[in-house]
Amino acid sequence: MRSSWYSNEYLLEEKNSFYRKLLNHIPDLIFQLTINSADDFYFSYVNSTMLTFFEISPLEISQNPTSIISSRIFPEDREGFFNSLFKSKNQSIPWSYEFRVQIGSNDLIWLKVDANVEIVDGERSVFFGRLSNITSIKERELKVIESEERYHFALEASKSGIWDYNLLTGEVYFSKESLQIIQCDENDKINTNSLWDERIHPDDLDNYLNSIELHKQGKTPFFENVKRIIAKDGTYKWVLSRGKIIERDTKNIPLRIIGIHSDVTLEKEKEAQLIANFDIISEQNNRLLNFAHIVSHNLRSHTGNFKMLLNIIESDDHQETHDECFNHLKTTSQALSDTIEHLKELVDINSTIIHKKENLNLSIYLNRTLTILSKEIKDNQVEITNTIDKNATINFNPAYLESILLNITTNAIKYAHPDKKPTISYSFIVQNNRQMLLIEDNGLGINMEKYGEKLFGMYKTFHKNTNARGIGLFITKNQIESMGGTIEVESKVNVGSTFKIKFNEEV
Amino acid sequence: MKKFNDIFIVDDDLVFHFIIKKLFEKCNLHFNTKYFMNGFEAIEEMKRTNQAPDLILLDINMPVYDGWQFLEEFKKIKNTFDKEVVVYLISSSDDISDINQAMCYKDEVKRYCNKPITMEEFEKIFNQE
Repeated sequence: MRSSWYSNEYLLEEKNSFYRKLLNHIPDLIFQLTINSADDFYFSYVNSTMLTFFEISPLEISQNPTSIISSRIFPEDREGFFNSLFKSKNQSIPWSYEFRVQIGSNDLIWLKVDANVEIVDGERSVFFGRLSNITSIKERELKVIESEERYHFALEASKSGIWDYNLLTGEVYFSKESLQIIQCDENDKINTNSLWDERIHPDDLDNYLNSIELHKQGKTPFFENVKRIIAKDGTYKWVLSRGKIIERDTKNIPLRIIGIHSDVTLEKEKEAQLIANFDIISEQNNRLLNFAHIVSHNLRSHTGNFKMLLNIIESDDHQETHDECFNHLKTTSQALSDTIEHLKELVDINSTIIHKKENLNLSIYLNRTLTILSKEIKDNQVEITNTIDKNATINFNPAYLESILLNITTNAIKYAHPDKKPTISYSFIVQNNRQMLLIEDNGLGINMEKYGEKLFGMYKTFHKNTNARGIGLFITKNQIESMGGTIEVESKVNVGSTFKIKFNEEV
Repeated sequence: MKKFNDIFIVDDDLVFHFIIKKLFEKCNLHFNTKYFMNGFEAIEEMKRTNQAPDLILLDINMPVYDGWQFLEEFKKIKNTFDKEVVVYLISSSDDISDINQAMCYKDEVKRYCNKPITMEEFEKIFNQE
């Protein structure tokens, strides 16, 4: 309170002068703007700071306020400026707007207007307000937006998402991109760690939990893990996750981990393809080596016999010896021809010629085989069980299918158990999406421990059977493999054998 | 020179049996020689007679028991015979894996010979030490 000896009039004068000084000397731009019912407006007051700032004279601003204001506002912001002004006038709400101005040829300046509106006499709207220079704030803001955008575009381009895991609450923020990898969005409400973890492939879970734990314990500088996560459509996506603890409490307990996700499914699929190709190449290489070995070994044994027999003839003059040698030379020659014939068959199977595959009705082919062997089946009283669906088809080479069925069935009859009524059963099943033909007998069986590895080898025979040649299963295996399938056997001595032929086609 | 009396030829190739016979004739060697078509037959013979030969010429690739399976079985029973049995592996395989596998039977196998067997090698078997 001022002293009482001042008169009211004096006081009022004193106050006005104080406000005038204040208004004219503070760095803010102060104004009073009046808009009438015809939407004409004029400045009823501007402080001198404002006139100086805009480089205008009091006359100019009183004569032509609209154009003088327009001329100073950056063209792009003009419309927005007047729209916001009339909006607050019409609704009688405070006016706030950010815009750019250009004074002469100087740099753009960001201004922010804040004004309250009052209705006077029911028809004029009077704005009291100020303009403040927010250029430096705006520049900082733009820099932040720019850097955020850069970050955002970089993440988007790398198909990466962001996650932010609060270890105390278990809550996780997953960015749009993270959720997109698994075909989800924010509506799916995946916002906790457990909701994410439960989508991880069970085989990958331990490894994932372990790598998080190692990082929590500070044993790894980063958390990094690749795992499969189930997407909305039920397929698994390979997701690479990298993160780092950014906050720990005073007891060094981790509070927060932030990281990125990227979809590496394509890379993983390519990797799998590469491994598959490598397996094919290794397999082919093995077969090639095996073939070279077979050729060298089997041809050598015959040529060796020729050489030794010829040595005997050379060093022995007896006609009787010559005759005997001649007979053995004939035998050896025949054996050599047979071997070459077998090797030729093998080359044909493994050659690059594309073998014709057809859709074959398995039952028809099996019945044909059983007809061919009907005499043997009858003579040996073999009981045949066939549970193969009449309509079951496989995509295979017809000649090979005939040969395979004939060979395995013949073996089952040939190596029947002398004390049992022979049975052979055929079934066709689907296991792990692959078609499989099972041929099961109750015959002699094979000692898998002793012969397992050699069962499908060339010229390998295992039973005391004089007409065994050891070529059948070898050819069978090669035919099946050339069609992209596999053959396995389970067998027990005196119990029987089950041959499992897996076909290439996925069901 | 070690004196051999009983000899086993274990090979599924009848031509090889004939060649061995002729080589014996040519070198004027007279032994009590038994011929077998596979390793199983040879092991059975030893078990049946409870006798082992002095020398075995053993092929590798044979049906029923091949050379390796014969050696495995032979290992189990060789100590029941009170004599040293000399085994030569004679095979047309020059595969390194076969030669390596032969090293696993150092106690049983004296040497690995490749077919065709030459006169010199043949004589060496019978004329050493």
